[in-house]
Amino acid sequence: MVKVQFYSLIRLLLKTESLLVPWAPDDRVHHILHKAQKAVSTPFLHKLLDEQGALHPGTIILINRHNILHLDKLQSVVRDDDLVALFPPGAGG
Amino acid sequence: MAGKLLRVNLTTRSCGIETINEAWAADYIGGRGLASKYLSEEISPQVDPLSPDNKLIFATGPLTGTYGGANGRYMAVTKSPLTGTIASSNSGGYFPSELRYAGFDMIIFEGKAAEPVCLQIYNQQVEIVDAAHLWGKSTQETEDALRQEFHGDAKVACIGPAGENQVHFACIVNDKHRAAGRSGVGMVMGSKNLKAVAVRGTGGVRVANPEAYREASREAYSMLKQNPVTGEGLGALGTAVLVNVINQSGALPTRNFQSGTFAEAEEISGEKLAETYLKRNKSCMGCIIGCGRVTKLAGARFSGDGEGPEYETLWSFGATCGISDLAAVTKANYLCNEYGMDTITAGATVACAMELFEKGLVSEEEIGMPLNFGDSDAMVKLIEMTGKGEGFGKKIALGSYRLAESYGAPELSMTVKKQEFPAYDGRGIQGIGLNYATSNRGACHVRGYMVSPEILGLPEKLDPQATEGKATWTKIFQDFTAVVDSSGVCLFTTFAIGAPQFVNFCNAATGSTFSDEALLEVGDRIYNLERMFNLKAGIDPSQDTLPKRLLSEPLPDGPMAGQVSKVPEMLPVYYQERGWSAEGIPTDEKLASLGL
Repeated sequence: MVKVQFYSLIRLLLKTESLLVPWAPDDRVHHILHKAQKAVSTPFLHKLLDEQGALHPGTIILINRHNILHLDKLQSVVRDDDLVALFPPGAGG
Repeated sequence: MAGKLLRVNLTTRSCGIETINEAWAADYIGGRGLASKYLSEEISPQVDPLSPDNKLIFATGPLTGTYGGANGRYMAVTKSPLTGTIASSNSGGYFPSELRYAGFDMIIFEGKAAEPVCLQIYNQQVEIVDAAHLWGKSTQETEDALRQEFHGDAKVACIGPAGENQVHFACIVNDKHRAAGRSGVGMVMGSKNLKAVAVRGTGGVRVANPEAYREASREAYSMLKQNPVTGEGLGALGTAVLVNVINQSGALPTRNFQSGTFAEAEEISGEKLAETYLKRNKSCMGCIIGCGRVTKLAGARFSGDGEGPEYETLWSFGATCGISDLAAVTKANYLCNEYGMDTITAGATVACAMELFEKGLVSEEEIGMPLNFGDSDAMVKLIEMTGKGEGFGKKIALGSYRLAESYGAPELSMTVKKQEFPAYDGRGIQGIGLNYATSNRGACHVRGYMVSPEILGLPEKLDPQATEGKATWTKIFQDFTAVVDSSGVCLFTTFAIGAPQFVNFCNAATGSTFSDEALLEVGDRIYNLERMFNLKAGIDPSQDTLPKRLLSEPLPDGPMAGQVSKVPEMLPVYYQERGWSAEGIPTDEKLASLGL
């Protein structure tokens, strides 16, 4: 299983902090994202991805606290028991 | 488009109106830049910050009070009693715009009043009045009183008891909850016996080219609305959204920077605040972002209402004190607003005191209570004692450097140039560490917010652990921020709009013909002007560094475990980027190229 954590606007939208999605060999981040959306039955991927399915500027997706932009982006490998954290674009100071 | 400045001599209780130096306005725009130029020309950098010879300048920018997105900021500029550097502290709300509606772009306070006074401005009518009856009142009480006594629609900037009691990190609060927070500008105001400035303006703001300004505003407004950060995220969750982001990234300083992750971060997060004490969001004048947090506490232990806490405050009274009690953090935030204290330095100094206590360097007897990390009751109590100038609060009032130094352990103060770090660990984010080391007002995130590219991925994602290119990025961020701070526009707009939009704004408002490069050169000029002030003040380049903990104690946990700051590696490259000597001194050629 992979634990998916929701933050910021996605948490406000889903009113859920996290959920477990089943893991399969060869799973990549984009697979996990779609499994999570299917599981919650509420569209939320538009907060993270544009219409072409690319990451919005400022979207942060972490696998075990490492940003996928420094791994293999949406093709980053996800392993069983991994933690995937989803942050739509956000900022502060 | 030369504006007017109001010069107030508090010693002689006299006021005069002057035309702003047009050549300086062309070179420095306004706000932070122009006020720094006036300060540099009018005081000796060696001046005692608390003497009547120091000056305090309130400065708006040419865009303050105009529509266009988030144009309601001003700067309080002076020599800082906390750092000994030039200080410029920014605030929004409604006071800055009101000052321009009264017809003033700037106020210069000089001298010292014999007794507490207040400045009252109704358009061009200006009066210095006695304020002994306001001395001792909180910032909110002061504003309410002045609205009754002077004008019901007056906007007020004032100090609270902390400024009167000479707390080194006293701030200037306007509109009850907005603060020119950092570097002790409220201590300087208190030293001058100036309790408050109340202003009512019924005029407008003229721009040089109204049609071009309308077009620039339309473009900026559209970009701000469409951007997911400024159009939705900051309004919904405010800056507090960063708690989980930065903690997950391993750069949330915890227990006085002994760690970079806080296990209980979720309890002090923006998401938790939204579930509990948040009532609604709030905007400054004309702002379409609306990042302000209106909150209310109604618990058995802590009650009250107000605005905040922001991200920095959630960290300063939360993670770095090892505290996960959101009600206590919110209460401490309210107290700081009421007493008029910078929440960053206040919380960071309590965290330093907690470490001093746990290491046995200060006793329970001296503090008057145990002071372990995680003790939320002690933290709130100590903040109140600091504002009131009672007991061990008098030691907290010194800030962490002077506090730790007095116990023989200055290395436990997490500061640069005696100003406390904000809520990002320079070991986990290399560029922000370089920015801290080279910031002209001591440790500060909003002098060059490298967190944006290194963590948030805006405008593009950089590897937070890489050092290559960070000097260049840091300089660009610092220079561009100096421009934004001088324009009167909120820094948060820069998550959506960039230099081309600021060029359009500034040119339309002032009649200038800046290019992108020329505007950044203004930022460079401001940065070098501030640097020269600091060098003449005796702040030598050896202080362009971080505390030993960040340079030699690796982060113990989280995704950045094992990392230390690489400032010593980046600093020579930064000096080169700036056109400074290897020793960190601006060269004659560099200064000449900037007209300095």
